[in-house]
Amino acid sequence: MIRSTVLVSGDPISLSRGAEDTRLAIEAELAFYGLEDEVRVGYTGRVNRTDVLPVVVVYPEGIVYGPVSPETGATIVSEHLYKGRKVEHLLVSAEVASAEIDTLGVAEDTLYAQKRVVLKRAGTIDPYSIDEYIAYDGYFALGKALTSMTPGEVLDTVKSSGLQGRGGAGFPTGLKWTFVAQQPESPRYIVCNADESEPGTFKDRLIVEGDPHAVLEGMALAGYAVGASEGWIYIRGEYAMAKDILNHAITAAEELNLLGDNIMGTSFSFHVHVHAGAGAYVCGEETALLNSLEGERGIPRIRPPYPTVYGFRGKPTVVNNVETLANIAPIILNGADWFRAIGTERSPGTKVYTMLGDVALSGLVEAPMGTTLREIIGIYGGGMKGGKAFKAAQTGGSSGTIIPAELLDVPMDFASMREKGVGLGSGALLVCDEDTDIVDLAYVLVRFFKTESCGKCTPCRVGTAQMLEALDRLRKGMARRADLERLEEIATYVQQASFCGLGQAAPVPILTGLQYFRSEFESRLRD
Amino acid sequence: MSEVRLTINNQPVTGLSGQTILEAAQAAGVDIPVLCSHPALSAWGACRMCVVEVKGMRGLQTACTCPIADGMEVQTETTAAVDVRKFVLELLFSERNHYCMFCQMSGDCELQDAAYRYGLDHFTYPRPYQKLSVDASRKYFIMDHNRCILCTRCVRACSEIVANHTLDVRARGADSMIMADLDVPFGESSCVECGTCLQVCPTGALIDARSAYGGREKDVVHTETTCMQCSVGCALDVVTRYNRLLRVDGIWGSEPNDGLLCVDGRFAPLYEERKRVTSPLVRKDGKLVEAGWDEALSTVAARFKAGGVQGLTTCATTNEALEAFAGLFAKAKGEAGLLEPVAPVLGYGTTGKLADILDADFIVVAGAQPLDYQRVVGYFIQRAADHGATVAVIADTENSLTKRATMTVSYADADQVAKAAADAKKIVLVYSVGIKSRVIAAFRHLGDRLYTLALSPGRNERGATAAGLKHAEPNGAQTRFFLLGEQSEDQALTTKVDGAFTVVQASYLSPLVEGADVVLPTPVWYERTGHTTDYAGVVKPVAEVLPKPAAVRDDAEVLSALAAML
Repeated sequence: MIRSTVLVSGDPISLSRGAEDTRLAIEAELAFYGLEDEVRVGYTGRVNRTDVLPVVVVYPEGIVYGPVSPETGATIVSEHLYKGRKVEHLLVSAEVASAEIDTLGVAEDTLYAQKRVVLKRAGTIDPYSIDEYIAYDGYFALGKALTSMTPGEVLDTVKSSGLQGRGGAGFPTGLKWTFVAQQPESPRYIVCNADESEPGTFKDRLIVEGDPHAVLEGMALAGYAVGASEGWIYIRGEYAMAKDILNHAITAAEELNLLGDNIMGTSFSFHVHVHAGAGAYVCGEETALLNSLEGERGIPRIRPPYPTVYGFRGKPTVVNNVETLANIAPIILNGADWFRAIGTERSPGTKVYTMLGDVALSGLVEAPMGTTLREIIGIYGGGMKGGKAFKAAQTGGSSGTIIPAELLDVPMDFASMREKGVGLGSGALLVCDEDTDIVDLAYVLVRFFKTESCGKCTPCRVGTAQMLEALDRLRKGMARRADLERLEEIATYVQQASFCGLGQAAPVPILTGLQYFRSEFESRLRD
Repeated sequence: MSEVRLTINNQPVTGLSGQTILEAAQAAGVDIPVLCSHPALSAWGACRMCVVEVKGMRGLQTACTCPIADGMEVQTETTAAVDVRKFVLELLFSERNHYCMFCQMSGDCELQDAAYRYGLDHFTYPRPYQKLSVDASRKYFIMDHNRCILCTRCVRACSEIVANHTLDVRARGADSMIMADLDVPFGESSCVECGTCLQVCPTGALIDARSAYGGREKDVVHTETTCMQCSVGCALDVVTRYNRLLRVDGIWGSEPNDGLLCVDGRFAPLYEERKRVTSPLVRKDGKLVEAGWDEALSTVAARFKAGGVQGLTTCATTNEALEAFAGLFAKAKGEAGLLEPVAPVLGYGTTGKLADILDADFIVVAGAQPLDYQRVVGYFIQRAADHGATVAVIADTENSLTKRATMTVSYADADQVAKAAADAKKIVLVYSVGIKSRVIAAFRHLGDRLYTLALSPGRNERGATAAGLKHAEPNGAQTRFFLLGEQSEDQALTTKVDGAFTVVQASYLSPLVEGADVVLPTPVWYERTGHTTDYAGVVKPVAEVLPKPAAVRDDAEVLSALAAML
């Protein structure tokens, strides 16, 4: 009989820090004490903060140790599992050990608490175990929808929840689904955009690695709502582990008839396939993604028609981000009102961020929409690293911008950010302290866009190269005032004239950089 | 399609639903500059030259992709639009080598035209371009990547019109390059050298090896005529200057080929190297010597009067010549026949057109090799295959279409194809002389749904058939008259037939000509006047593009003169 479960964090960072060896050491030590039949060992997705990785979670107590080396892993077995004594000096923190993992040291009732909707299970369950997902309300929403709701009711619930696309643009998810549901054509498709390639963004990977079934359940619910029976997950090619987890999860769900034909004995069938990208950033753009999924060159398509009308294989298609889909099951299970109670009026729900850069604690954060950047850095990030002053944050991705200190107190939600002329982006929070050079930051970001331009349209293909050239001259102190004016002009035109979001985003680091930090650009001039 | 009313530059314009702003503007005579857009190709929206402002729409719209709507107010030359166009041009000029002075397209280049239109008089941006390669591995045309603006017209032409899918773009962003197959030299690729990409290229990136630097558009003469290189009968635009052939272009929107040509229609005939027969020749003392027309014709007439005459012709000539040929031998009481075999008449189905291939859902190719001999038909079939049509090849030998076919079966299994076609809505049967009775029988029952396309090996087989000529072999007659016209190497009769008196009417020297007793010169394709009958039975004009050499006379004229002497 199993009396305890030990989960070792198995995300790439943990693995790079020897989590594999830790797990092996734990297993060896369990065998030494003859506990292998009583204690199950598994992997779990990443918990939260990178400084405590790799972590070891012991259930049923829910005690978290970290960081755990092979040696200390053995100690945990001999002390905790064999002798029944907590290894005090290895505990992550008192708060973590005594409360739920998802609150990580912050009181649940304050605004600042991490409110976990999407990441509720990530880090507490074994992503390779569908049983654990089910034990935590997994597939309850799908069961509820299939047995007691019409597709229209599912659609209406998502619509009235006010959920907005979490890929960065914030398009109302319910509306997108309605467009597809209204199309006379079939078959229709659900495509999960897991081609997460925005600089500094890795939330989707951690969601998939921590709780793959949440995404699958969301896709099945989307399929039920819009009348689709087939779904594709287009996953970034580099996410080998996430892909493996997804494939494993699909097989497990199919075995239990939670995916596949006639799910739970109903007339609804839904099949999910996983397709790995080949390393092109532009394939995160939904129409380029669809081209790539069809085996064509990954370049954006002309819009309109939008994918909701002419999507995968020319059929009506819902393209949703991983995080968006992971929100669906909780919404269906708890209702639209529950969801609307989280976050802000205009942007309900939570947002998952990946915080990195000059903060004390980097890692994954899920916070209610409307939490300010100051709160996120101060509370979840543990403040600025080394006590330095905040200078700017880059919100990542094709709709992200550089956010200066004067916007630190703007509620982070789609609408409020847009009103200030900045973007929430894909969820990356690249925090930069006072020592950061904005020109260098802009250079690095523009270089990324230049490398990743697909080359289809002139402004992006040639314009990004010219912007980079101009920035390089500026960095090297070779530029004159006229060159800076020209740079601003190129950036403006590239934004106006580019074919897709990539080209329209490429000049943003320059434009927002100039807007808030013009003097820094000017200080590099020759004249 | 319903009418859509909008205004362009404050002028009321009526367009059709489904049209883009660009199409409506062009129809109304409003000139919006384009680079990646081409009327024969799908919209691409990438160069960003055609940006316009539409009232109520955020930002600029590309006219080539934006559909028109009732009440739309379009402004094509606002400051914002013109600024973006200039910006795009400045970027393109900075990207690669666009020193117009040294380009053979200077004067006829769409990029250069746009630059003049928007007053680009200097390079605005630094030009970090590297020297790129020039690919001259194909015989007839050259790819100079340095002049390429990556508009991908060539890629789309190769995929959408020829359906050959040789061209694509490799790498991405600033490293993008047009490539053939998996980046092999063009000459070693699957390229069929149809030259469609060459015709749509807006700049000097694709260069015709023969006509480069040969004359700008304002210097040249265009003559429309009908191709006689195979039985299809494509419309040609032959471009000449100072009585010199420069190149051949397809004519967009023309029947039946809609601008698409093949290597034999566009390039090969311009590279003729055989020696021309330029005056009548008569054999004297065992040697062929030049003679006047009167002497040559009276020598022939004398032999004709003795009887025992057989005339054999290729059908590579005009309807007029073929009728005169049939008339001559009727008058001489001889036999007249056709050298090439003729595809049989099936006696069922509707006579199809090339366009029928494109909307058919099932195409059968039996006893024909269109990709080798009537290439344009082959390309149409490839296009249909791309659109999802089932292509079934019935052949006992290798067929180039097999690689694009859904199924390939032997003649013995023709019934399988008929069975597979049972549920098809529209079936096109493309066949040639190789078709067998088993196949003919297998498709008879398909009735109204079946369209037939007969492809004979001869070039003007329909004209010959109309003149009453049938396929025949040399029959041992004492006097033989061969009208070979512009024979190709493979169909030339190479041996003089045992001791008979042989008259050959031909354009080029060949073993048969050299063994003949009398040789009468005949015009080549671009010197003929008259008509030809295309694959579908439509009579089409053949125009004299360049004048004949002084001592060469028209076939029909020579044959009539000979008949008058009998």
